[in-house]
Amino acid sequence: MTTVEAGVAGGVGTSPKRPDGGLKVRGEFAFSSDLWADDMLWGATLRSPHPHARIRGIDITAAVALPGVYAVLTHEDVPGAKRYGLEIVDQPVLAMGEVKYQGEPVAVVAADHPETARRAAARIVVDYEVLPAVTEASLGVLLRHVPIRTGDPDATADVVVTGEYQVGMQDQAFLGPESGLAVPAEDGGVDLYIATQWLHVDQKQVADCLGLPAEKVRLTLAGVGGAFGAREDLSMQVHASLLALHTGRPVKMVYGREESFFGHVHRHPATMWYEHGATRDGKLVYVKAKIVLDGGAYASSSTAVAANAATLGIGPYEVPNVVMDASVYYTNNPPCGAMRGFGAVQACFAYESQMDKLASALGLDPVEVRLRNAMTTGSRMPTGQIVEGPAPVADLLIRVRSAPPAPEGSGDLREMPGGVSNTTHGEGVVRGIGYGIGIKNVAFSEGFDDYATARVRLELIGGEPAVLVHTAAAEVGQGLVTVQAQIARTELGVERVTVATADTSVGSAGSSSASRQTYMTGGAVRAACQAVRAALLARVGGARLDGGKVLSDSGAVIADLASVIGDGPIEETVEWRHRPTYPLDPVTGQGNAHVQYAFAAHRATVDVDVELGLVRVVEIVTAQDVGKAVNPLAVEGQIHGGTAQGLGLALMEEIQMVDGIVRNPSFTDYLIPTILDMPPMKVDVLEMADPHSPYGLRGVGEPPTISSTPAVVAAVRAATGKALTRVPVRPEHIVG
Amino acid sequence: MKTFNYLRATDVDVALQRIAVEPGARFLGGGTNLVDLMREGIEAPETLIDITRLPLDGIEELPDGGLRIGALVRNSDLAAHPVVRGRYPFLSQAILLGATGQIRNMATVGGNLLQRTRCLYFYDEASACNKREPGAGCAAREGFNRGNAVLGTSDACVATHPSDMAVALAAIDAVVEVRSSRGTRHIPLTEFHLLPGTTPHLESQLESDELITAVELPPLPVAAHSYYRKVRDRASYAFALVSVAAALDFGADGRIADVRLALGGVATKPWRARTAEQLLLGAAASEDSFATAAAAELAAAVPLPGNAFKIDLACRTVVAVLRRLTTERSGS
Repeated sequence: MTTVEAGVAGGVGTSPKRPDGGLKVRGEFAFSSDLWADDMLWGATLRSPHPHARIRGIDITAAVALPGVYAVLTHEDVPGAKRYGLEIVDQPVLAMGEVKYQGEPVAVVAADHPETARRAAARIVVDYEVLPAVTEASLGVLLRHVPIRTGDPDATADVVVTGEYQVGMQDQAFLGPESGLAVPAEDGGVDLYIATQWLHVDQKQVADCLGLPAEKVRLTLAGVGGAFGAREDLSMQVHASLLALHTGRPVKMVYGREESFFGHVHRHPATMWYEHGATRDGKLVYVKAKIVLDGGAYASSSTAVAANAATLGIGPYEVPNVVMDASVYYTNNPPCGAMRGFGAVQACFAYESQMDKLASALGLDPVEVRLRNAMTTGSRMPTGQIVEGPAPVADLLIRVRSAPPAPEGSGDLREMPGGVSNTTHGEGVVRGIGYGIGIKNVAFSEGFDDYATARVRLELIGGEPAVLVHTAAAEVGQGLVTVQAQIARTELGVERVTVATADTSVGSAGSSSASRQTYMTGGAVRAACQAVRAALLARVGGARLDGGKVLSDSGAVIADLASVIGDGPIEETVEWRHRPTYPLDPVTGQGNAHVQYAFAAHRATVDVDVELGLVRVVEIVTAQDVGKAVNPLAVEGQIHGGTAQGLGLALMEEIQMVDGIVRNPSFTDYLIPTILDMPPMKVDVLEMADPHSPYGLRGVGEPPTISSTPAVVAAVRAATGKALTRVPVRPEHIVG
Repeated sequence: MKTFNYLRATDVDVALQRIAVEPGARFLGGGTNLVDLMREGIEAPETLIDITRLPLDGIEELPDGGLRIGALVRNSDLAAHPVVRGRYPFLSQAILLGATGQIRNMATVGGNLLQRTRCLYFYDEASACNKREPGAGCAAREGFNRGNAVLGTSDACVATHPSDMAVALAAIDAVVEVRSSRGTRHIPLTEFHLLPGTTPHLESQLESDELITAVELPPLPVAAHSYYRKVRDRASYAFALVSVAAALDFGADGRIADVRLALGGVATKPWRARTAEQLLLGAAASEDSFATAAAAELAAAVPLPGNAFKIDLACRTVVAVLRRLTTERSGS
């Protein structure tokens, strides 16, 4: 039964005003860094200056002696599990005898003033014996190898192109640094207010480390200033809770910008070798690829990143013969983990560069060679999985190709390479156009029990029907609160919907990552609304809801919605799952590992000052199939933001590592695109319903990041003739 | 951050007397650099003497056609001044291409001259830095040195001078007026900043008891035809990889009759390119003469693995800006 209420304002497919929008624009939104308790203490963290060292001793005497200091804690003070981790429990809460990356937390302090806390941390004497650091992935310890074998490994082809490609270490660069407030509770537990992506996975890890049952560690989502994967792993959650329990006082921790660079994982740097073989008419015969990822000091989500790189590593193309090996290694670099499009981003830069190279070798148009190999519904992935949902790869490519060409410059300096920097005034500028298309899995894969929980209550407030939606799903800025309300309106025909603050008093929603939350929590809210509706109709023997009335099969009005709810509120809690996925065969990589695939294509037009190596991206055209645009404005926002992050990776974003040391931990030295670097975009949103997902929707957040990078680089190549096998591309790579 | 005393000066003489007896004190202008350095623990003055209320914020036209700029004039105000825009356009451009609007609204002329390097190793207290800690060594040489200098470097230091404004001032032959309780001195801007040599912690001629009170610009007709060009990694809010301040004028014979050239982003101080200027003076304006002059200026460059590209990029930028000035002159 899918009797959806039509006509209610602010439902699915509309773009109602988001509750946090005005507040954020006016600077009035309360982020987690704004949390406050009157009697709170401030926490600070002492971190390792070395990428690898043995700790021979920690002397906290001088720190404890500082007036205003309430606690100085080391690993000895961790009462429960000493380590935590998303996939592999390998990361110490506080270093135990050894530090494995620069910035690893060694001790934490609570004091009555943040400056006092920082000074106390600086007074802790750690006796380090510096050890050699492994900073090259190829020299590291293997963390996971994902092989994929399909077809004939010895297949040969008429035309062969090979290449080595590299992706630098990108940062999520969210604006709201890690922060939270831990409040000790009377039951011996702790209430933690925190900006995170997944409350329940935090809860489990924090409870384990504190040696407390989960019900004594209650988490409430605080205002999140961006996430992009950087809040999947714990940062200060256990530290603040430990300090709160030790001192009996609320403890707030807020990382500064520099500390934030050490407080979260980054995108895996990758080195990738590809060999593409094709027939003379441009049909791919085989792809052989080796992908090496630097996982850093601890596992984080590296195993899933490697799986994505492998399973999505040949792109949205039909290839009969594949030999793929993706491996991730432990090193003494900072831990790498989740970042928007993980695994797929790195591989897409390589395989799309290869497709351009193949087009060039064949004398074909770059889009044409892609069209000749584009997968479609029913295509077989190299894992053997059949792509069941819509796979409009060719359609997306044709759409971006057929968009009108970017307009010629108006002569305004801001539109030129170097922009207002007063470099070229038009001379020496060469235009280039490049294409990219990518593929991403949506939601969790490889047999993970992926579910979301929603509690929906329909009641009368002031005599009017009202809905309360309660989930633990993290609004990280993507607009999820708005989407949950839209779904409830559509399903129950009630405009008045309140979305409760996300916390752990309701079941897990899973993570706001993997482009999954509208699919998963949206699916759970929809299912809970349907359960509420069924209970409502059952009360009076109705068949459907329409215009606030309960109707019979024949359409006769049985009762007013309000009068039915008047007998008592209706509340349902639903745990909702997507179709099961399955592990990959460890030898052949065969298996139905993913539940849904999403696709986006980009066309980038750049003007390059070939004399000075400066690039101005003048226009980006993108087409993406979103299945159903649940909130069209939010969809467009995701596509704009994701594309900008991909442009940043293409042209400027990189954490500079030297011998395991981060050299640019600031937004003065780690550059992200400004508004002057982002071009106008044309966004073409397709809605080809996936029969298995709620409303047919498809995850939106990651695909735009994946294909914008190769499109921008391809455009720069077209303008300069340079090979450009590494991102980010800098001026010296263009003029050098 | 270390605790410090804060004083607000209302009179120049009183401020000078105070700093004369308190060598650990520093003057506080816009604070856009000093406060940052204090937060990072790189500077730790015992006392800050806030000079922002001192009457040093005027811009005055001089009888000879020059300009006297008070040390406390905000960067934004100087860039917007009609005489600067008309007579010294590259100075206005240089200022507007530095930092952000918010910072330019705070930062002062005097403070800009004393701005300290953005060398990543200067900012990292865990790294050896002779500028921060004399004798400690220079970690930048062996490290990530893409942003470091190729001109005016020494074994002890390869830190780039970060200012855009000072590059234009070097081309203008500006003069810095400094005062102390001992009297007033006038220092040519090109001599104001020191090369690092073996003492990279000494960055200017300014003594600890001296206050910059003004910068004077001489009349400079050639500056009316000038450009400041900045090559950087993104369109706004980034330090220069290479910048060039250039002014060019031609005689009746079509040859270069006057030229001013200074470089930023590549040198340890605002780099007046006198070698190039001498080669250009009297030469015909051509790609060849521009390239020859640029190459001669950069011949003294000492590259590091990460910044060798700057030599070629600097030459290209010099040629490009001179070409543009030539095109505009012949077009007008």
